[in-house]
Amino acid sequence: MAAEDARYRQSSQYRLWSFSPVELATLREKSNALAKASISERMLSSNASRPASGANTPDGDATPTLPEFLTPTEEALLVTFYTSEVLRAGNHAGYRDAIKATAAVFFRRFYVTNSIMTYPPNDMVLVTLFLANKAEANFVNIGEFANKFGKKNAESILAGEFLLCQALRFAFDVKHPFRALKGAVMALRRIGGIDDKRINAAEHRAHEILCFSPLMTDAYFHYTPSQIMLAALSLADRGLVEQLIADTFHHVSPPGTSGPGTPMETGDAPPPPRRDTKSEDKATIIGAWIRDKVLGTIEACRDMLSKELPEERREHWASQDVFAAELKPLRKKLNKCRDPDRSNLLELHRRRREQARIKAETEDDDAEDRGAALADDGAVFGDAGPRDTKRRKVGKGLEDPFGGPL
Amino acid sequence: MSRKAAMGGARQPVGGATTTTTTTSTISTEDMCPVCKTIRYLNKDMEFLINPECYHSMCSNCVNRLFNDGPNQCPYAGCNKTLRRKGFRSAFFGDLGVEREVDIRRRVAAVFNQGEDDFETTTDYNNYLQMVEDLTFDLVFGTDRKRQEAEATLQRWEAEHTAQIEQNRRQGREADEMARRRLRAEKDAARLRRIEAVREAEEEKRERALTREAELDSIAQAPEGQGSSRVQLKRRGLAAAAGVNSAAPVATAAATDVGKLSIRGLKEKKKAVVHEGPYDPFGGLDFTPSRYRLGPDLKHQRIEDLRATMRYNPGGFRFEDWTAQLMFEAFAGLGVFVEDEKEVGIGLEAGRVASIGAGIAAVGDRMELD
Repeated sequence: MAAEDARYRQSSQYRLWSFSPVELATLREKSNALAKASISERMLSSNASRPASGANTPDGDATPTLPEFLTPTEEALLVTFYTSEVLRAGNHAGYRDAIKATAAVFFRRFYVTNSIMTYPPNDMVLVTLFLANKAEANFVNIGEFANKFGKKNAESILAGEFLLCQALRFAFDVKHPFRALKGAVMALRRIGGIDDKRINAAEHRAHEILCFSPLMTDAYFHYTPSQIMLAALSLADRGLVEQLIADTFHHVSPPGTSGPGTPMETGDAPPPPRRDTKSEDKATIIGAWIRDKVLGTIEACRDMLSKELPEERREHWASQDVFAAELKPLRKKLNKCRDPDRSNLLELHRRRREQARIKAETEDDDAEDRGAALADDGAVFGDAGPRDTKRRKVGKGLEDPFGGPL
Repeated sequence: MSRKAAMGGARQPVGGATTTTTTTSTISTEDMCPVCKTIRYLNKDMEFLINPECYHSMCSNCVNRLFNDGPNQCPYAGCNKTLRRKGFRSAFFGDLGVEREVDIRRRVAAVFNQGEDDFETTTDYNNYLQMVEDLTFDLVFGTDRKRQEAEATLQRWEAEHTAQIEQNRRQGREADEMARRRLRAEKDAARLRRIEAVREAEEEKRERALTREAELDSIAQAPEGQGSSRVQLKRRGLAAAAGVNSAAPVATAAATDVGKLSIRGLKEKKKAVVHEGPYDPFGGLDFTPSRYRLGPDLKHQRIEDLRATMRYNPGGFRFEDWTAQLMFEAFAGLGVFVEDEKEVGIGLEAGRVASIGAGIAAVGDRMELD
């Protein structure tokens, strides 16, 4: 096994966030089904309890029928649209490519295990962008960040942050193909005999593709950064990639093992027969068999990327016609089948903290004393805002205003 | 002697020796020799002996009288065993049945002396134990025929496995010897420790007395007013602390002198020392590139630009490292095929596995279509 591959297999991107297409589809279907079940349950229960108190709410007028839910395909389309929104927001703020890419990957990862019906994508766009800034070591002021996007209140961004961290399984390091592209370019230059302008043009074009195509597709889930990079490079200039691959996987088996395993023969030849282990090791790392497999993988990735090429697709996602034709109905549908409990991140966050607090208080035997002591401390240090004391009062009166655990 | 007398009190006739019960009820068989009818009243030091040939008990006088001149028949009526003077001994158990059983068991155990380690599985060992127990039971309680059969088996086994039995016996003896030696070593260590502790205590006492003397002297000689404050110095605690420190190594030294620290009842096992080599913080990860070479001929415009920038030229920042990182990222994971690996495991190919299970999958698809 190649040393580089072994090191890549240690990364959280491989361990937690790489899936085969089947696995990914299953995961998405599962989160869709789960969301459907829990949302319909909540809707029914809130409908049943509402007529007594809130009969005048516009959408609660005794509709026992459930709305039509989004299908996994529709969800995927919406997620892709909102990914483009993430990139657009990043462009608007003028962030680095890595930050935008990280935000987009965060966003897509978040909606693998969560349904877009459960958590509002509009809010999550900014949350992912903010967290991506931090993950890429660009520490922005939350107030300034919110102002950039015309938000007065930064709390809704902060409210979703921990939620996002949880959904990411605390894997904040996203391995991007940008640096890999520079490495490949260096390796190409070393081969020699290639026009410098050609390499520069290809690099420029590949970088452009990398900033858009893999983020809008599932490439990050199915391929490694180096494979994505080579696929993008081959979209820019196929010849260069072939040269690079030929230069990398150059191992020629010793003449004794000639036969079906000779490197110049293409096709699905099995690894050369066992002769001496060192030569065989080399063959499995940089031999012909692995070369063909890598080429096949790059080709598959290239197909995936070519579906979302930057120029055509950027306009596609930004155009009003497409929006009206494809996305508006979906958004309407989404508005109808939102999770009633979780569509407001701020409210959800507040409630969760409330619950945690109530739990902590009931767990303590001397909850009363502690509360009093806290209030006193607050008065002494002057940092307990009026909101806090109020909340405490309200929290005592209402056991659980929304009923049932979240 | 008194112990034997007490045991004699529990003595009962053994099966086969029923004739002894025909005495008068006032004098019990324990107090009267069944052969010469001497009663304990006449001979206070009377001692009963048995011969493991037939376990008939008689007083020592009778034994001397009957067997001094060589082998003779057992005086019990109906018992025609030939006994020798040498074979007589005093019984350990009051119940001669038990005495006989213990003797037989001892004999069987000497022959069947295999340990658990000699067997492949626990079941084998258990079966062996069962066999031995059956044989013993036959020897002790079995009918004549069974007893003879068991006796024959025992002798055959002994004849066939002489060497092995001898070896096992030797091993057992060695183990015994080892245990005894260890026990002795422990005892010695304990004794040494005790002596050491006593010595320490005495030393400390003396020390304390000395320091007290010195203190008193110094207070007496000190100018007025200074001495009283020094009285409160707690020398004792300091000395005690020092004593503990000095005593600990002595004790451990004593323990190591007589051998390793041993816990009673622990099996002694020799562990093979496995040399693991130095600790590897990276868990065996290899950092030598296998798909690319590093070198000064790797060039990129961006790196050249940065090299010219003052900001990126502080000490500790090496462009070679950055180049190495770029090259690593360009080739890392090139041979990682996510689809195959997540579906069927590292190093396998999904296509091949799929082709094996193609039939099943095809059937499944068709069913779904239906």
